[in-house]
Amino acid sequence: MTGEARAIRSVCVAGAGIVGLSAALAFARALPGVRVSILEMPADPAALTDRLPGSLPTIHLFHAAIGLDELELVRAGAATHLLGTRFENWSADGAPWYHVFDRYGMPAGDADFHPVSQRARLAERALRFHRYAAAATLAEAGKFVHPSGDPASPLGSFLYALRLEPDRYRERLEAAASALPRERGAITDIERRADGGIGALLLEDGLRIEADLFIDCAGPAAPLLSAVDPGFEQWDEWLPCDRVVLDRDAGEDPNPCDLAVASDDGWRWRSGRAYCSAFATGDGGGEIIRPGRRPEPWVRNVLALGDAAVAIDPLHSTSLHLAQSAILRALELLPGRDCHPLELREYNRRTEQETCRVRDFLALHYLRSGRRDTPFWAAMAERSAPAGLSRTLEQFERRGRLPFFEEESFDRQSWLAVLLGLGVMPREAEPVAAGVDLEQAAPAMDRLAARLAALPERFPPYREVLAKMRA
Amino acid sequence: MSESGPGRQRVVIVGGGTAGWMTAAALIRKLPHACSVRLIESAEIGIVGVGEATLPHLRTFVEMLGIDEADFMRATHATFKLGIEFHDFGRIGDRYLHPFGSFGTDLKGVHFHHYWLRMRAEGRIDDLSAYSIANVMAAACRFAPPSADSDSMLSTYSYAYQFDATLFAPYLRDYAVARGVERTEGKVVDVAIHAQSGDVTALTMENGERIEGDLFVDCSGFRGLLIGQALGSQWEDWSHWLPCDRAVAMPTVSPEGPIEPFTRATAMSAGWRWRIPLQHRVGNGYVYSSSHISDEAAADALVAAVEGKAMAEPRLLRFRAGRRKRSWDRNVVSIGLASGFLEPLESTSIYLAQGAITQMIELFPAGGRIEDADRDEFNRMVDLEYDRIRDFLILHYHATTRDDSSFWNHVRTMTVPDSLEEKMELFRVAGRISKYTQGLFLEPSWLAVYIGQGIVPEGWDQRAGALDSAQLGPALDRLRANVAEAVREMPDHEAFIRRRNAQIEAAA
Repeated sequence: MTGEARAIRSVCVAGAGIVGLSAALAFARALPGVRVSILEMPADPAALTDRLPGSLPTIHLFHAAIGLDELELVRAGAATHLLGTRFENWSADGAPWYHVFDRYGMPAGDADFHPVSQRARLAERALRFHRYAAAATLAEAGKFVHPSGDPASPLGSFLYALRLEPDRYRERLEAAASALPRERGAITDIERRADGGIGALLLEDGLRIEADLFIDCAGPAAPLLSAVDPGFEQWDEWLPCDRVVLDRDAGEDPNPCDLAVASDDGWRWRSGRAYCSAFATGDGGGEIIRPGRRPEPWVRNVLALGDAAVAIDPLHSTSLHLAQSAILRALELLPGRDCHPLELREYNRRTEQETCRVRDFLALHYLRSGRRDTPFWAAMAERSAPAGLSRTLEQFERRGRLPFFEEESFDRQSWLAVLLGLGVMPREAEPVAAGVDLEQAAPAMDRLAARLAALPERFPPYREVLAKMRA
Repeated sequence: MSESGPGRQRVVIVGGGTAGWMTAAALIRKLPHACSVRLIESAEIGIVGVGEATLPHLRTFVEMLGIDEADFMRATHATFKLGIEFHDFGRIGDRYLHPFGSFGTDLKGVHFHHYWLRMRAEGRIDDLSAYSIANVMAAACRFAPPSADSDSMLSTYSYAYQFDATLFAPYLRDYAVARGVERTEGKVVDVAIHAQSGDVTALTMENGERIEGDLFVDCSGFRGLLIGQALGSQWEDWSHWLPCDRAVAMPTVSPEGPIEPFTRATAMSAGWRWRIPLQHRVGNGYVYSSSHISDEAAADALVAAVEGKAMAEPRLLRFRAGRRKRSWDRNVVSIGLASGFLEPLESTSIYLAQGAITQMIELFPAGGRIEDADRDEFNRMVDLEYDRIRDFLILHYHATTRDDSSFWNHVRTMTVPDSLEEKMELFRVAGRISKYTQGLFLEPSWLAVYIGQGIVPEGWDQRAGALDSAQLGPALDRLRANVAEAVREMPDHEAFIRRRNAQIEAAA
């Protein structure tokens, strides 16, 4: 069979939220000869990826793929800039810390910054880790500038994400997808193919939708995927929050730094909160979420994306990132109409690596906060970590090393920032650090921190930056 | 600080070949504060001196030691290596280069080879190698260092060295001894093992001297003096997949004409033959399966096949494909041939030693106690590398149509590991290469060998169909022309080396 003969000719995207529209746009743009249609279904309020405002810096890559322009989004009020997150009460001492997408510190001679700072920390000659990252000083001051690109500048190469206003962002996606064929209605029946895949969707008005590939973006119930494979891997042991309350954004001053405050039974951000219902201390309410993933998000001719593939805690805003990354991967590995099992296996393998590593990163916050002051946190401290996270913790807590994993969404810098922020301290410095002269390294670290601390005052408040961009 | 004070580990390396001195040099460079290093070698025990040809990763090692490349290359009579040229593997008369570099430029986020596959299906006749700058450089025997600017086409290739392996270990010995590694000449006659822990505690030398240590590094070669003979760490045999178990080697005088910046591997009736051009001579050898050809016949075949005048009698080497089930066992880390062996088809021996050294330094037991978790981490990494390289090597033998000898009939029809079977099938379906980012041989390497050995995918990335062929054809033409033009401006490989040598001599 030649390349053209097995090519997919039609794709039906079920779900017209942010995830569904993103998928439809990306597929239509990359595959101009393919009929990409959207099936608009009643929105599931538990489909958090369609409703949350956060993103990761990988969003720029995705926007480039679908032709969305950052400045245009900012002007339309659909996006503002996001440098990272301030964490409060996520450690035994409660001291705030910052996670940003920047390099922490600078290399000292032969050794990386991390082992050097670790030695300084063990000697009690180091400041909080985020004091050594330029983007964190900006975030703390509530300021934002675009990275300059100058490798010599401390503000040369950090990354930033976007904070989305979900309704307006969705409108922009709608506008971009307006030319795509669209149907509306609830699914009443699913016709199966001989191989177990989906042949057609039947709607309540009698309409029948056929496609070579069906993409399930219809939220955690995954009506399409679960018809062909009901498997689900539950993560509530490690990601305990099973209720999410979304408030209207208070519309306060725009801030390029997110906020994550640990509470007695979960955590809250500026426009919402997540908690564990078994330990609930507040008013209750909210959407029920079931943290976990579909072990095989792509089965035959059905691909699940967004909450249909993985339902994950809103911490660090990873759900949209995972959806966008999955869309790009699905395009990279797009099989033929026959959906050869080896092609799907490669997709599912890489997706599993990525998803589980994000889960590990988030689980870390709950399992190693060091807090035991409420029944919830005390229970979390007793739980054992998933295998990958256990390996990371064993190596890090004992000797400060971070083992390598494929398909990491958060790089070494992020892992370090969170581990150290939570108060997970290595007992020993890495062997290479023992050779570093602390009498030279510690003052150099102080000078760096002082230099970075002086950066924000050079820039105007974010409100003014934003007003100028929108003018 | 005393030699064996708390926190300062006594490392004892057994074996002064390439792996032993690489280990010693790296330890004394990276952890001089954390350990003392002693290396035991015996002039009576010869070194195998594997790997006259290396991989680009060795540059990182040389750089890490702070060694000046030009000086190092002059001392080891090294030439540059842009890849390995395989002859007669897929079928007799075939030839392709596995370059240290990528093919073409990705377009709209789609790997270049998918466009090439599509245009090929539409009738365009050209070779994928024309889009690889390393390929075109190699064919023209030209060389210039790659660019650091990632936007430049000149950043899409890398290079390694071809050097005299018998000079590499002495070069590192001078380096290591000058920085404090203690060298002990003599043979180990006894290994003392702690009754409870099972750790090696001391070695007894022929002259009666007793050498104690905390961590022992076994670089004793195939014997595996500590890891195998003393600790009994088991060996996993892979000779059913990689049947070559001997080599006969013979250097020849450099021929007239340009020095090729690549290694040649030519398939023979019962294995393959290497040709590695150095500054002053050419290294040759026939790697073969002793089940399929006799030693005499192999030596005769080598003598008959080499181009220049022989500089020595053919020398026989014996080996077996496989690896230790645990490369780090108790307090013994095995590095080099003591840890495992994969035949030199893709010049991986020195790389494997380097990888193990890097991991050992990262997991160095600075506190004295060796944790199981650290050994497991080390063994996990070593195993991962071995397994992938094994699959990559088997591919060269298995993806063939050759049926002209019992050897080729065997490797063509044998059952290969499932992991390889699946990788090949994934490529066959639509030109996709199973992705990983850590370890050796990433996507371009697999692509070069798949295509070079005649595996032609049935399909390609559907997105490659989005561009109009009326535009794509001229775009490919331009890319080819740009590659050719960039190479035309580069100096001759040999001239580049001679000029650098002259500069060093002038400076000295």
